[in-house]
Amino acid sequence: MSKGKTAIQFSSLFGPAEIICQTELTDRDSILLELLRLLAYERSIGNVHEVYKMILERESEAPTIVGSGIAMPHARLPTIDQIVVGVATSKKGIVYAKNVDNPIKLIILTVSPKASPAAYLQAMSSVAKICQDPATADVVAELPTAEKVWKFFDQGGIILPSYVRACDIMRPAKVKLQEHDTLEKAITLFVRHGLRDLPVVDKDDNLVGVVTTYELLRVCLPDYVLWMEDLTPILNFEPFAEILRKESKTWLAEIMTNEYATVDADSPAIQVAKEITRQRVDRAYVVRGEKLVGVVSLGTFLDRVLRG
Amino acid sequence: MAVLNRKRTAFKLFSRMVLLLAITSGVGLLAHLIKLDRQQVLASSVFIMIVMATLLFWQFRLAIAFVGISVLMGTKTLDLPTFIKECKLDVILFLVGMMVTVGVLKELGLFTWIIQSVIKTRRMTGPMFVVIVAVLAALMSCIVDEVTSIVFIATLIFQVCDTVKVRPTPFIIIAVMATNIGSTGTMLGNPVGILIGQNAIPPLSFPDFLKWSFPIMLVTLSASIGVLLWWFWRDIRLLSERLETRREMGLGLGPLVQVPYKRGLGILVGMIAFIALHHHLESYLGLAPNTVLIMAPLVIAGLLMIWRHERARHYIEADVEWWTLLFFMMLFAVAGALQHTQVTEKIAGYFQTAFGNRLSILTPVIISISAFGSAFVDNVVFVAAFIPVVNKLGHTPLLWALLQGACLGGNATMIGSTANIVALGMLEKRYRTHVHFFEWFKAGVIVAVFSCLVAWGGIAALSPYMPTRAQRELEAVTNLQDSQKHLEINSHQTETSQSGGPGASVFMDIIFPEKM
Repeated sequence: MSKGKTAIQFSSLFGPAEIICQTELTDRDSILLELLRLLAYERSIGNVHEVYKMILERESEAPTIVGSGIAMPHARLPTIDQIVVGVATSKKGIVYAKNVDNPIKLIILTVSPKASPAAYLQAMSSVAKICQDPATADVVAELPTAEKVWKFFDQGGIILPSYVRACDIMRPAKVKLQEHDTLEKAITLFVRHGLRDLPVVDKDDNLVGVVTTYELLRVCLPDYVLWMEDLTPILNFEPFAEILRKESKTWLAEIMTNEYATVDADSPAIQVAKEITRQRVDRAYVVRGEKLVGVVSLGTFLDRVLRG
Repeated sequence: MAVLNRKRTAFKLFSRMVLLLAITSGVGLLAHLIKLDRQQVLASSVFIMIVMATLLFWQFRLAIAFVGISVLMGTKTLDLPTFIKECKLDVILFLVGMMVTVGVLKELGLFTWIIQSVIKTRRMTGPMFVVIVAVLAALMSCIVDEVTSIVFIATLIFQVCDTVKVRPTPFIIIAVMATNIGSTGTMLGNPVGILIGQNAIPPLSFPDFLKWSFPIMLVTLSASIGVLLWWFWRDIRLLSERLETRREMGLGLGPLVQVPYKRGLGILVGMIAFIALHHHLESYLGLAPNTVLIMAPLVIAGLLMIWRHERARHYIEADVEWWTLLFFMMLFAVAGALQHTQVTEKIAGYFQTAFGNRLSILTPVIISISAFGSAFVDNVVFVAAFIPVVNKLGHTPLLWALLQGACLGGNATMIGSTANIVALGMLEKRYRTHVHFFEWFKAGVIVAVFSCLVAWGGIAALSPYMPTRAQRELEAVTNLQDSQKHLEINSHQTETSQSGGPGASVFMDIIFPEKM
């Protein structure tokens, strides 16, 4: 898993010929089509319209904005055997999607083999660092020639990682609970966000536990209540009534479980699948040290790895 | 890594198999050297093989027992009629009846009610919780059986410990030890209770257990609770603090619902009364000793299965531990083979040679041997093999010594009794945590030794008041004659009474099997 001798530069995946520099086009669909035509000419990616349709479908579901002014659309094709990358820059900016306010100035289009789930994720992971810099898109858009754009990537030391890391496929954990929250807040968040479990963090954002809807249900219906075959005593949710009466006084610590899947942010993304399967849960929490940095649900994992 | 683990597992299994075969062969060789005949050698070897299997191959113990029985039958050491007789179907059916009844009681909410009664106790403290748990575990063990008791008590402990966030392990250890101690109280507490009761010559009754064993159990339990409170004081104090905090916040220990428990309680009380009166009913009806005792759980289970006929199959399939019961049957048959081939008689002879016939020496010896053996192998194995020896020695107190040693010795190690294994399994499944052998052993040895000493004291104190074997035989004959008279009057079966009758012959066979 070392990045030593076999390290591949991101710039080796394309050349100046696969870059459209400072395009005058301003709508997303036209620039994507032009970029695909260029790749079809230079790298033989097959039926352009089919790929185009595939990319638009994917973008209309969720625009692949990976940084300020940067989009990274992609498609996975069964007809190619290695990843193909095309780049387009725009000084004016491209209107990318209705709900995206900032115009896009840098598009990195990737077309990867369908049977190679890691290829696209590795490419995305490699450019993640430059995407974090809000000035990147503006800087690249100002470069006047395709050669200079290519050199930007070549000299930036952007290396394809030898494996996809957990943090490459995670999403930020936006909904979380604080240690001192009560059951009342947990129930509200469960209902509002339709989640099955919520992470609990301390004041330093360290993950201290997880509250699950299953545990909540188990608190209301402990084993000794479930033994009874006759449902009459609990027909009107009597055990829940007591929980509701005391929800504002019940600290999360009481129903918090220590049995959840965690993976280190830099561990291979496959570790996520391993932990989810091993612990029989549907999401894994991504931590750096003890700090919660993101979450990978089973849905996200399948989307990123099998369909992404 | 996985390959390495597989190799390690295979090596471990192989080395255990070698150990099993070596010990079995060693015992066989030893038996041959002390001039036992071929059948005695085989019976001893197979018995030791099964004992070792329970120790080394817990998961394969039934399979190994099947093989062992086949070896005994294939070598004419055990024939089919003896096998069927020695399987002790009476004990097995009694346990089936109890298991079905407990399954129904669970569904009727009786155990839910018991747990709720504990968790709603006002001003609960750590020591109070420990005392309640220990006493409840012991009494439930007396009334139902040790495994059922620990399953319910462990659930109670998990509920409280989960709610107040304390480590459940110390409380599970306390409950298991109380369960094992409690299981000496009555015939229902432990399979060895019914085994001893049924196979003692003449058989012991439920009132006998209440009279001679229950008081000893109460003293042993009280003393052991004191030891356990001292040993786990730190955890108990933490529980007290957490309970206090929770009480201050006005929070309970779990949801409470209105449980219609009266039907279940009525059934349980009815069954206990039925069992407690078995001796009188047998005399009145002219039945062989312990017939009603065996019949009671079966009758109750049958009636319950008719009442809840839609769940009847579930009770039989899910609530009856067929795996364990089949193992017991095989075990009884192998132990029966020891008796059939007169190995047990020889052991009794060696015993008498080594320790004489003095009760003051034999009592602690029997307690120590059965306690030591039960600490490492299933106590049923030990009792099944030892009961003919104790019968041969002929002292009534030794029956109680065997019972006490076999049950109390189980506290010494984490594999010492079925209750220990069940509770640790529950703990492991719920918390994915292991109790280390020595974590248990340190407390276990203290409690086991201490409780055995108390039990020895109890037996020694009660011995002068216990009927001798001759007195028990006389009482049994008197009862038999009364029963016969009663039968004659009621049935007017003159031909049976004139000839002494087949009924009398069957009874005599049950009371004095050795003499027939």
